[in-house]
Amino acid sequence: MSAFRSQLLRIATSLVRTHGFTREALSRSVLELPADKAHSEPLSDGAVSSLFGKGEYARKSLIEAWLNEGIIQMASKPSSSLGHVLHTRLNYNEPVLPYLPEAFALLASPERGLPPLDPRPALKHAARIADEASYISGDTSSQLSWYTHRASLAVMYSCAELHQLTSPETAHEFLDSLLTGSSAFEKSLDEVHLFSSYVLQSWKGIFRSKGIL
Amino acid sequence: MFSSSTARRLSRCTNRRFLASNAYTKPSSPSDAAISTTPLDITDEQRAALDSALRVDQAGEVAANWIYYGQHYILGKQPVTGPLIQEMWDQEKKHLEVMNKMQLQHRVRPTILMEVAKIGGFGLGAVTALLGKEAAMACTEAVETVIGEHYDDQLKEMESLPSTHPSVPLMREVVKEFRDDELEHLDIAVINHAQRAPAHALLSTVVGAGCKVAIELCKRY
Repeated sequence: MSAFRSQLLRIATSLVRTHGFTREALSRSVLELPADKAHSEPLSDGAVSSLFGKGEYARKSLIEAWLNEGIIQMASKPSSSLGHVLHTRLNYNEPVLPYLPEAFALLASPERGLPPLDPRPALKHAARIADEASYISGDTSSQLSWYTHRASLAVMYSCAELHQLTSPETAHEFLDSLLTGSSAFEKSLDEVHLFSSYVLQSWKGIFRSKGIL
Repeated sequence: MFSSSTARRLSRCTNRRFLASNAYTKPSSPSDAAISTTPLDITDEQRAALDSALRVDQAGEVAANWIYYGQHYILGKQPVTGPLIQEMWDQEKKHLEVMNKMQLQHRVRPTILMEVAKIGGFGLGAVTALLGKEAAMACTEAVETVIGEHYDDQLKEMESLPSTHPSVPLMREVVKEFRDDELEHLDIAVINHAQRAPAHALLSTVVGAGCKVAIELCKRY
């Protein structure tokens, strides 16, 4: 059952561009099965509920499957350029842009009413993309810089994705400007760090010469 | 400079014919699957166990490096103890280099407590070194006892991982090698009068308990 459900979810993700993140996309996924297994009629609403969950749970399953497919798509076009990887992910959004605002709002909706907004799905989405992009581009950050690198990527990608929802034509340029700004900021931080280490060395020398150390 | 038994043990450390960790420190082929890929056909529970194991191993090696840094900061100029600490510290540096590569290879999240591990390690090393070289050796004895047991427990857990992926047997060999290195450090510490440290039992208990708490925290965070 689980393998069949996963297969249907995968097929349904390809129907999102025509049917949106809807129970109808899930229902029609059986029509796109390989010829020997394909159904002649879409799944009934009861069947969709029993396979994917009642009400909005089914739609959330589809959204999550589509997001997972996005991660797989990123990995299918490996590149050592971080920018290229993130642009690939932004391109993945393009065919379904009109449906994305509602999809993200649905993911952020709480299951029980309070709190009114659940930020965890959005954070998880950005963190997964940042981690995957770092891995594909061959990032070798370790220890604390592993976190700072991914946090900055997650913020940049989230900003670019939000920008894409309102202004898709300029989203890629916006992402490039964020990436350029980030690398300039990182260089500045490195220079501050280097200067601080010189200052520290000279203080050590002064203390030693005064016999304090 | 060293006692003859210490010299023999250090010699054994450096003259091993084959070290598993050489696959990482002196790779013959950087694209070798054993050092560049991670098994994908393991269950979520096995993946979580592997993640937390490598996370705590990396954190442990960071802490060990900073413990020796702290000890060397205080005792580095002593004619016998200084070079001894430096020798063990050099081995821990190699361990850390390998653990950093394994963390990237297996896509493991490093512990967020890394800076705490560094400050805590340096503080522990420096404070015990200020108490004297025997106390520094007692600290090493206590830490290496806990780490040796920890690596042993990990080897038992790793038996459940499928050996079909080339990285898994290599990982087991690396953990075995590091466990043996840590136990050699333990022996070195005992030979160099760890048990003559003031309040040895109390010191060992406190340091050992601290290490166990640190291991549990780094597994999760």
